[in-house]
Amino acid sequence: MTRRGSISLVGIKKTYGRFTAIRDLHLDIEPGEFFAFVGPSGSGKTTSLRVIAGLEPVDAGRVLIGDADVTAAPPGDRDIAMVFQNYALYPHMTVAQNIAFPLRMVKTPAEEIAARVRQAAERVQMGHLLDRRPGQLSGGQQQRVALARAIVREPTVFLLDEPLSNLDAQLRLDTRVALKKLQLDLGVTAVYVTHDQEEAFTLADRMAIFMNGEVVQVGAPQELFERPDDVRVAAFLGRPPMNLVPGRLDPDGLHIDGWDAGPLAVPDAGPLAAGTGSSAAAGSREVTVGFRPRDLKLGGTGARAEVYLAEVMGEHSIVNVQCGSHVLKALTADTSPRRVGAEVRLHLDPAAIHLFDPETGRRLDAPAASIEAVGVSS
Amino acid sequence: MIGRTGRLVAAGVAIVVVFLTWAFPVLWTAVTSLKFAKDIFAYPPKLFFEPTGLNYDGVLGGRQTLVNDLVSSTVISLGATVLSVAAAIPMAYVFARCHLRFKNALALYTLFTYMIPRIGLVIPFFVVFRKLGLTGTYSGLTLVYLSFSLPFAVWLLVPYFEDLPREMEEAGLLDRAGRWRTLWYVILPQVRGGIAITAIFVFITAWNEFLFGVVLSGSEVRPITVAMYNFIGVEQTLWGPLTAGAIVAMIPVIVLGLGAQRGIVRGLTAGSIKGGSRT
Repeated sequence: MTRRGSISLVGIKKTYGRFTAIRDLHLDIEPGEFFAFVGPSGSGKTTSLRVIAGLEPVDAGRVLIGDADVTAAPPGDRDIAMVFQNYALYPHMTVAQNIAFPLRMVKTPAEEIAARVRQAAERVQMGHLLDRRPGQLSGGQQQRVALARAIVREPTVFLLDEPLSNLDAQLRLDTRVALKKLQLDLGVTAVYVTHDQEEAFTLADRMAIFMNGEVVQVGAPQELFERPDDVRVAAFLGRPPMNLVPGRLDPDGLHIDGWDAGPLAVPDAGPLAAGTGSSAAAGSREVTVGFRPRDLKLGGTGARAEVYLAEVMGEHSIVNVQCGSHVLKALTADTSPRRVGAEVRLHLDPAAIHLFDPETGRRLDAPAASIEAVGVSS
Repeated sequence: MIGRTGRLVAAGVAIVVVFLTWAFPVLWTAVTSLKFAKDIFAYPPKLFFEPTGLNYDGVLGGRQTLVNDLVSSTVISLGATVLSVAAAIPMAYVFARCHLRFKNALALYTLFTYMIPRIGLVIPFFVVFRKLGLTGTYSGLTLVYLSFSLPFAVWLLVPYFEDLPREMEEAGLLDRAGRWRTLWYVILPQVRGGIAITAIFVFITAWNEFLFGVVLSGSEVRPITVAMYNFIGVEQTLWGPLTAGAIVAMIPVIVLGLGAQRGIVRGLTAGSIKGGSRT
């Protein structure tokens, strides 16, 4: 079975001197998939993309594109096209010459070049500017020329290195849609590097979260958002990010630091607490408690806290509340102004609680739905 | 506090001083080349004299013609320029881009060859060239000029390559151009300014070279600088033909400098704007 357009990274390792850029990367990308590499700066996502492109030799591991092992193949032999963050257009060539360049390099007949250049340029609405030079184009137009140069050769894999980061906000939104549409129309595999999770959410079928040269989790964006496997993923995804506070899992339930409304009962706390927690007491362990700002409700008669600062932003507001020594964020549709220092009550939907091991950061695999709240005083 | 006018005056004075320092010998040479021998040695020097083209007739036609020597100089200088630029381009590219073992050592060595006092090399070169029959030949003089113009050209070119965004080259590689075609189609057109300025500097240096020329040239192949030197004799110096020859020898350099002025200015500033064509 041929798997045209699939990409496999097997045990990739890449170091620069003493710095390890990629530790031990295993990743399978399906044909036709829009796959995002997401992570903070220096997490290894761009390096991984460049490894796929053949621009960085690897220290260990194999790169497979389709059925072929391309680990040692030069970039030009991998049937890939790449859009660079700064577009890397050839400034001394016109738009038409830029788009034609990859075809010229494989001795395509002149008439065919002309036809395909026109076609590619029209696809990105640049058909009317073929005689301009890159220096005479706006950032958005340059970006589209870079896209046209990439699609003109009809590659099986499309690599995009933060292609929208140099565009202004409005243009970025429009281009995002156009980009996704283009990828769907062409049916190519796209690997997309971004540090902007919103882009990843809207564009990607699946994404990999990179941290310190490792992939910490792979999956559909919503899946990662709903069920982060690692506390770093939990902290990274979502705006505003997840609240993370220390807590303790005891036989009588979950104690959240600063939460004065008593423990939240967790029925299957037994097996969880029997893990290798730092607490010496049997049946008790330290945990990191995570919950999304949207799941922290204000009002009612729950735990006591006071308003630290309310950020009202049109459709919703983010209310920062001081709960014990922690500042938690609550996302609410209530945009009425709140006085700093006013007392509020907090109510937490227990089904929305994520528990992590404070030492390893890994998710403690209690089925979230089985945690029930009994401690919320009412 | 010095006012605006004060500063302008100071700048003006500085410009005049610098200009006169540079221009006086040239002007003096030009004036002398138009004088009869009797006027050249007149004391006090004559500001007003009867100009003559006699000296120019001499160096461009007569018994003491310098035309052959101009041809020699042109051939040798052009040869040195073309060869050193052609060799310096790939060298500079590698120095600027590739990870190479001993790269720093090589770079230092390249610079080192340029630092050796040339006078120390004249005798070894002479001995070797005599053995090889290279004295007084075009290839010999071109070769010896290459030995110092090549490192110079490499060092001039490296920053131009370094200033090109790496992605540009990577785009070339991904566009299936390979290293050589990427160099030819993508990189070289963008360092044209740098290549032009390097070529001009190499040409001028070769054109003005005297030391190796005087030792290693023969009667057939002889640079213009050496030919002019022959006007300085033991008994007398033929100042008229000498200065006329100097002016003639200056013309190609001045023409070249003026013609390439725009390129030079662009080449000098090109390095300062990283990826300036994109915003």
